[in-house]
Amino acid sequence: MKLRMLLFGILLLMFGNAAMAQRGIIKGRITDHKSKEPLTGATVVVTGTSNATATDLNGAYQFYVNSGTLNLTVRYLGYQDTTLTVKLNSDELKVLNIAMSGRQRNLNDVIITGYTQGQAKALNQQKNADNIKNIIAADQIGRFPDPNAAEALQRVPGVNIERDQGEGRYVSIRGLAPQFTNMSINGEQIPSPEADVRFVALDAIPSDQLASIEVSKALTPDMDGDAIGGAINLVTRTAQSKNAAISGSFGGGHNNLMGKPNLQGQLQYGQRFGKDEKLGLLLNGNYYHNDLGSDNIERDLDDNELELRDYALTRTRLGLSSSMDYRFNNHHEVYFKGLYSRFTDREQRRRYVFKPEDGEIEKLMKDRFESQSVLSLNAGAKHTFTNLLVDYEMQYSYGEQDTPYDNEAAFIAEIPSVLDFTNSRSPKLTAADYTNNSLYGFDEIGYGNTMAKDKNLTAKFNVGVPYKLGDNDGMIKFGAKVRSKRKSFHIRQNTFENLGGVPNLNAFDGDPVKDQFYFGRYAMGRPLAINKLMTYFNSNPGQFELQVEDKAIDEALEAYTAKEDLVAGYLMAKQQFNKLMVLGGVRYERTKVTYNSSDVVIDESGDLDQIVPVSGSSNYDFILPQLHLKYELTPLSNLRAALTWSYARPNFAEIIPAQEINREDREASAGNPALQPVSAINYDLMYEHYFGSVGIVSAGLFYKRLDDFIYKRILYNSPYPLTGVPTATGIDVTQAQNGNDANVKGLEVAFQRRLTFIPLLKDFSVYLNYTYTHSKAQIQNRNAGSENANATEEIRLPGQSANVGNASLAYEGKRFSLRSSLNFNGSFLSEVGGSKELDIFMKSRLQLDASGSISINSRIKFFAEVMNITNQPLELYQGDQSQTIQREFYSFWSRFGIKFHL
Amino acid sequence: MKPLIYLLFAVMLLTACEKKNHDLITPTLEADFPQILLLSDEGDGDLEDEDKFSFKIRLADRVDPEGKELGGKITPLTEDVTVHFEVSSFKGFTSLSAYLLAAKAYYEVDDCSTSEDQNIDLHLVFDPMTGKGSVTFPKGVEEIEVEFETSEDLFDDDIFNANARSLEIRLTSVDAKSQKVVVNDQNTFKYLVLDDEGIYGEYELDVNNQEQFQRYINLFGLVNDDVKNLKPADVEEIKIEFQYGELKAVITLKETEEVEECGEVETVNKEIEIEAEFEELEDDAESGELEFVGEVELDNGLKEEFTYKGSFKLVEGQLELILQGEYKGDETAEITLNLNK
Repeated sequence: MKLRMLLFGILLLMFGNAAMAQRGIIKGRITDHKSKEPLTGATVVVTGTSNATATDLNGAYQFYVNSGTLNLTVRYLGYQDTTLTVKLNSDELKVLNIAMSGRQRNLNDVIITGYTQGQAKALNQQKNADNIKNIIAADQIGRFPDPNAAEALQRVPGVNIERDQGEGRYVSIRGLAPQFTNMSINGEQIPSPEADVRFVALDAIPSDQLASIEVSKALTPDMDGDAIGGAINLVTRTAQSKNAAISGSFGGGHNNLMGKPNLQGQLQYGQRFGKDEKLGLLLNGNYYHNDLGSDNIERDLDDNELELRDYALTRTRLGLSSSMDYRFNNHHEVYFKGLYSRFTDREQRRRYVFKPEDGEIEKLMKDRFESQSVLSLNAGAKHTFTNLLVDYEMQYSYGEQDTPYDNEAAFIAEIPSVLDFTNSRSPKLTAADYTNNSLYGFDEIGYGNTMAKDKNLTAKFNVGVPYKLGDNDGMIKFGAKVRSKRKSFHIRQNTFENLGGVPNLNAFDGDPVKDQFYFGRYAMGRPLAINKLMTYFNSNPGQFELQVEDKAIDEALEAYTAKEDLVAGYLMAKQQFNKLMVLGGVRYERTKVTYNSSDVVIDESGDLDQIVPVSGSSNYDFILPQLHLKYELTPLSNLRAALTWSYARPNFAEIIPAQEINREDREASAGNPALQPVSAINYDLMYEHYFGSVGIVSAGLFYKRLDDFIYKRILYNSPYPLTGVPTATGIDVTQAQNGNDANVKGLEVAFQRRLTFIPLLKDFSVYLNYTYTHSKAQIQNRNAGSENANATEEIRLPGQSANVGNASLAYEGKRFSLRSSLNFNGSFLSEVGGSKELDIFMKSRLQLDASGSISINSRIKFFAEVMNITNQPLELYQGDQSQTIQREFYSFWSRFGIKFHL
Repeated sequence: MKPLIYLLFAVMLLTACEKKNHDLITPTLEADFPQILLLSDEGDGDLEDEDKFSFKIRLADRVDPEGKELGGKITPLTEDVTVHFEVSSFKGFTSLSAYLLAAKAYYEVDDCSTSEDQNIDLHLVFDPMTGKGSVTFPKGVEEIEVEFETSEDLFDDDIFNANARSLEIRLTSVDAKSQKVVVNDQNTFKYLVLDDEGIYGEYELDVNNQEQFQRYINLFGLVNDDVKNLKPADVEEIKIEFQYGELKAVITLKETEEVEECGEVETVNKEIEIEAEFEELEDDAESGELEFVGEVELDNGLKEEFTYKGSFKLVEGQLELILQGEYKGDETAEITLNLNK
């Protein structure tokens, strides 16, 4: 096998050498003539041939060309085409930096600045990309009021976000839940700070840190294959010019619900040093502090309970990134990129739980601090040889979710209550004197802390060998990657009940955090002040009894360690046939996983019987062919098609071999370390037309067929445990299993452009996109029993909205700009219930934001943003829309300040 | 150096904005959480002519450091401590010293011997005038018992006393040198003097009365198969005891068995015992309602609850019980038992 690989490599190099005999290299940077800003995604083409390349994020390009006298044409949306003549000797590397002029004259004095400039960068990259992808440039992110990466992504066609406390958090692409999408920083996957999952909560990444965000919807062989929905790549900034570039922003704002201010700031410094600007250095730091809250009611349909939840939160986002690169010469460069982000969330939740069936009301307070940190360090090099391109990189990344305290205390009063859900969106509540704290006796206080860690160590290399097939250029590329992942979760939980003597709640109450709750419809009274109770706890420990058994169960059941080692390799070729680009290849990935956790056994009496360490392991391989076609109908229009294979790994919560059996109820749950990833075949077709005045109209179809779809299956009357010697029989074991198929199909349309064709509206631009998605998946019929356990039923894929879209209208004058943005998420299945009637759905939501700015001069401007202007709530319903089970309001919040570029 | 100081200052400032430590109390947990000494029981009671009673002090369960006892275990102290207690809130009498005559303290060394047998002194000090006392809780011990000698004559009379006669005991503090030990000073142990002219005491059913015997079998055979199959010829005696908080129905069989206890072998009659706790008992009257609840352990280890509800009536030393039992969805008829004190 090794010998065959060696022979193949030698042949490839010989072929490459032969092809390169009469050739040279042209490289350089394309910039804006006036601002000196790099022009990302510009096309550089040898006139009259299909030999072309595109500039990267730094405006840099390079390509192999035939020696001799050549005419080069440079194209960039919104700019005049530039043509120049170059003389190149064989084996010569020529550096050609080009400054392009805008096409103001052609656009009747329309100013290509700000948003349009950002949009141009994004669209130029998108137009020249080999695969189907969407790109959002930093300037474009800055024009929408989106403080974190998740919210910036909501503007992309086919992207849906899940929110937490009104802020975007998880991202779904094309109707597939977040675990079907992989997240990278600077091209390499980042670990998830959270314990159970692989995907990253993108509210932890401030958008100010990013140069651009790329959303690839069809994979190429040089990309990781574990992304069925798509792959998101967050690209950090790099230094561009020998002149020190200092930019930043400072501002504040106001949260209407909490009546509290917020604060934000960003500072960036970038400069290239040395005579030939060999050394580049960029430092970026940003900080966002937000005091927010929500008013929430939740209903438990099964138990006929109602909760009033009053949240107050303090969230901060700190981002630090750096980039350093050194260009030894035009052939060789090394780089180092680092990103650190820290998201903190102090949450205080005050709540009532009305339990009319038990004749009780609970009053509780939770106080929790959580920090999510992500560190990513990339070091690598790029080499341009006369007959091949080589790059390699090492990456260390670390994600951590540290919850140093998660404390919650509960008091109970025996007060009868009556709940009327005739109008389930605004239930009526009758309970005499329920805000009287002297009626509430101490129930329990729980002190928890957890630590989840995820660490990746990755090494990879790529080799590109250019060749010529007749008059057409091509590139063979191959590479390999190894990644070692270590993930763990540890928990400490101490719950205390009353050993005797703890006073009633009135001894521990505090002041309300705001004047009214839920528009004044429900009284919250004086809330429990958990810090007062904790002071009492420390002074009187003799009155509190540790629940030792609960502690053992909690700490054993969720804790685990996992190792996951990946080896991958690929071979691909990209060939231009006149106007048709064909990119094809295959990727191989092998994953080896091992896990350790615990088996918690509860005996027939409901008591903890034993905790047994358990472990599991599995290996899986994927061979992933990928084929992309791009046909240039006109210089501004492309027709694309792709046939790709991909997969998605199961979440850790599903595969760690933790087991729990409750012999009293004859029920058990078990992780499934043998669970296989979901595999998928993806079909994509896309037409796109770009407007020379910066804009796009596009339409695309996609279809994905998923095999081994993972779902929760109940194994009726099973022996337990499922492997090894059974210790019990007749147990209903719930376990995630493979086996059922699913598919998702949809349509994406997008339209963006400046309305220059309407003289009166020439300073206006529109941004529209809409995605329709339809999915179905087979799962075990939820009415099945032991006699027909294989019966199936069809559901929508969880997380899939039928309709997702954005609409934005902007005015961009010479100094003044104003934008209103609508984001629509259709309803989706949030949680699969025990029966169809118990399925939980997220209701559709339409959020309206607005932003504006006034430029003082070319370097300074003031900005203002208002989010969630119409106070759209988050709403969940169970079974049908008349059964609202959660309704959470955040009110609106604003930000304003100054942005500068020195 | 200055820029570094500024940077450090800025990071500290931003960290403060996280409000991680704002208004936060750090709880005392895990190894820092102290050992707790507490009263083992909430109360006890005995008949008015009883000459002693006791209360127990124990350590609260902690996490087993070896991880074997998942439900927790007592971790004994590593050095002796002195526990202070107080007897107070006495009702039905005016002077503690008239009732509490003496006191002693001991602990179980094993099933057959106590510290008293081994002449280990727990330095019990008790002043019946003030009701205050103290006792050593020794290292290596899980529980100690403090026993009072009481006047058997003070309350012993022939009349029914509707008024309570009781006292309460509370732990007040602990003297510990270097160990983290606290007492639960809120809980109380309440001792009740039970009136033997009322419901409390021991009653006997006439085994030779065929009708009464069969009624008893019908009533308690519901929860015990051994009782269901009994014949009068098998039974030596049947007694029902009304004790503090619980009822015991004891059948002594004619069949005997050899029992070894602390090295001594003894021949005793076999007994069938049914125990239940009172949910309701109107013990301040000579007639009233009662309800008691018990559990039966099934073959698979599960426990099933049974309930008996009804009324009682005392007439000249005779007790008339009217009860209806319920167990696993089955019910008995209302059955009347007549018992003699």
